[in-house]
Amino acid sequence: MNVEEPSNASPSKEERIAEALDMAKVTIDDEQEKKSNIIVFRLGEEEYGLRIDQIKEVVITPRITKIPLTPSYVRGVANIRGNILAIIDLEDKFSLNKTINETSGYTLVVESHEFNMAILVKDVPNTLSVADTDIDYTPAVVTEMHGEQDYINGIIKIEDRLIILIDIFKIITKEDLKTVIGSKI
Amino acid sequence: MKEEELKQIFLAEAQDSFEQLNRLFTQLEKNHADREATEAIFRIIHTLKGNAAAMGFEDVASVGHLLEDIFSEIRKGNITLTSMVFNDLFKAIDKLGEMIEGVKVDKKVPYKGMRAKLKVILRNLKGEIEYEHTQGGESSEKKDKEIEATLQKQLEEELTESQKETLASEQPVPIGIPLADEFMDEEEKKSKITFSDFVQVPVSKLDTLLNLVGELAIEKDRIIAQGASVGVTNEYTRLYRITSDLQYSVMGVRLVQVGALFHKFHRIVRDVASIENKKVNLDLQGTEIEIDRNVLQIISDSMIHLVRNAVSHGIEGPEERRKKGKKEQGTIQLRATSDKEYVIIEVNDDGYGIDANKIRKKVVEKNLATPEAIASLSDDDVVKFIFEPGFSSVDNVTSVSGRGVGMDVVKKAVDAVGGKINIKTVLGQGTTFSLSLPSSMAVKSALLFIINNTEYAIPLSFTEAVISVKKSSIHKVGSGLVTSHLDDTITVMFLRDIFDCKDNEELQNPQLLHRSFDQIEDPEAKINIVVVSVDNKMIGFVVDRLLQQKEIIEKPLGKPVENARFISGATILGNGNVCLVLDANDISEFLFKPTFATV
Repeated sequence: MNVEEPSNASPSKEERIAEALDMAKVTIDDEQEKKSNIIVFRLGEEEYGLRIDQIKEVVITPRITKIPLTPSYVRGVANIRGNILAIIDLEDKFSLNKTINETSGYTLVVESHEFNMAILVKDVPNTLSVADTDIDYTPAVVTEMHGEQDYINGIIKIEDRLIILIDIFKIITKEDLKTVIGSKI
Repeated sequence: MKEEELKQIFLAEAQDSFEQLNRLFTQLEKNHADREATEAIFRIIHTLKGNAAAMGFEDVASVGHLLEDIFSEIRKGNITLTSMVFNDLFKAIDKLGEMIEGVKVDKKVPYKGMRAKLKVILRNLKGEIEYEHTQGGESSEKKDKEIEATLQKQLEEELTESQKETLASEQPVPIGIPLADEFMDEEEKKSKITFSDFVQVPVSKLDTLLNLVGELAIEKDRIIAQGASVGVTNEYTRLYRITSDLQYSVMGVRLVQVGALFHKFHRIVRDVASIENKKVNLDLQGTEIEIDRNVLQIISDSMIHLVRNAVSHGIEGPEERRKKGKKEQGTIQLRATSDKEYVIIEVNDDGYGIDANKIRKKVVEKNLATPEAIASLSDDDVVKFIFEPGFSSVDNVTSVSGRGVGMDVVKKAVDAVGGKINIKTVLGQGTTFSLSLPSSMAVKSALLFIINNTEYAIPLSFTEAVISVKKSSIHKVGSGLVTSHLDDTITVMFLRDIFDCKDNEELQNPQLLHRSFDQIEDPEAKINIVVVSVDNKMIGFVVDRLLQQKEIIEKPLGKPVENARFISGATILGNGNVCLVLDANDISEFLFKPTFATV
């Protein structure tokens, strides 16, 4: 387990993330074996992972402005480098135990042209290079466990860790947007 | 002034076309059978000719016309290019470039020789297809001579008396031999490269630039505020001035004259009038007024709708007008005036005017309001029902207007740019639609206030006044609240009530609008109200605390929250926080929709 404790939080953390991201990118070129780079973070008591290409950067959570009449997992909008991004709380969305503190946590900015959003996380996430053979894409597992929720991409099993690999764009689907309360059609 | 501007635009386009032609010709030179290049050349020449004709540059137009004919034949495969003909065409293009240059400096370039030559090429190529076939591609001296002979003959035939006169000094033109007069300093001209004084920039680049300047302005505000807190202010005056200048310059770049849109209506009015058998005269005023290009683009469809409506429903037929003692020819006037941050565009017709009683009938028929409610409204208020979705006052749908897209679409477009639409009508005398549009979409003045510890902004274009009243002077009426302001009774709502809703059902709760009001116990408690005017309805928004008035740059919210209700966008404040901008139209719509009708 390589998840850093919040007490370790220091200003240099962002730099280290950047390094980690860089290193992870280098390994893509170096390794012959087919590997995926996964950003791993904690939500509730579980570990979740996102493919590295879905994440643009990690920042300290900025001040969030609440938007009225939106689902509770949309925590609001925030200014990240001059862009106004919607801040998504996946613990709320997945009905997990609340562990994220809005004022001391981190935010993963999602890499996308279509969506302007970011995800709240508790700690600085770390990257993991995972061989494709370690990812269990078996749909049977996924569908049995989660019914219609197809945002779960697969399950990564390394040593005794279990990481749930998710697709961020499937979480915020068109279907989901309709839940914006009383939204204009 | 206007003429000059049009000329500049024409020149910029023409020079651009000319450069493209040069490039395509070099391409064509390498491969005479290049279909793509031929097509492109034909298209460009066609446009150039059209533009020149519209501008009244007959010389460019006539040479362009001939070249177009030639390329039309080449395109159809009726003639094949030979290197000899090609060279002449290339020279013709050079000539065209020279003539465009001539337009720029107001100098007439002799072109009749070239024109005659092109005519001959056209004839020749068309008439001599057989001949070309038997002779093969190589040009021999014999062939040249033969062609020349045919040429001379054809030329004689083709020139009318008057043309002969003008050509007296130029003499019939043999192919391949340069004309002394016209081609004298050809070499010199060829080596000259001309640059247009205009740079075409994609709008997206301007948008990016404007965003950056917007952020700079915010940053400037932040730094100056910081400086003021420690007592340094003078240091920043230059920074302040430069950033403001920069901001206004960038905004200026995006401005276009409304004439760009107005002039398109000559054709539209003519077309619609001829379909409807009406006589309509179009009068344009204030075409030099400038407005943001994006604003103009967004409302252009609405303008077309308004003008079409004015012709087809506003203006009477000539017979009827005569009977009424009006001039047979109706007049539609488009007038732009500028008023501080706003541009007011009026579409006026001198036709029927709108009959409020007809509207009343229709409103009841369409179930948009109860007969009692509609009877109590003034004529002016009744007429506003034409902006309601699902209202179309014309029974017979014609090909011109009334195809389901109603005035509500027009209103939506105007709302979208933060403008207002008003209507004035006098039965029998005509109707005026007046659109008040922001001249620039980028920066707007807004009033900032706090609700539930969150900052919100509302554009000043909506706000009428800020008042403070005692709780005891707000009264419950039906499911809503009212108070009086300057003799008017206005609807009051605690914004907090709707912002705190968790779901749609809660939003429909009939007790909703009384919630916060009931929680206030002290009848003397002061309540801050921002009075806004939407569609000429006054609404008082109760806020927790008023902050300040500020220039903001509103950005739309992106996905996935682009549909958030009651919010039109957001802006970044000097402290880096995001501040939501209220959509007063949407709130008003919510308040006055059937479920919440306060009447």
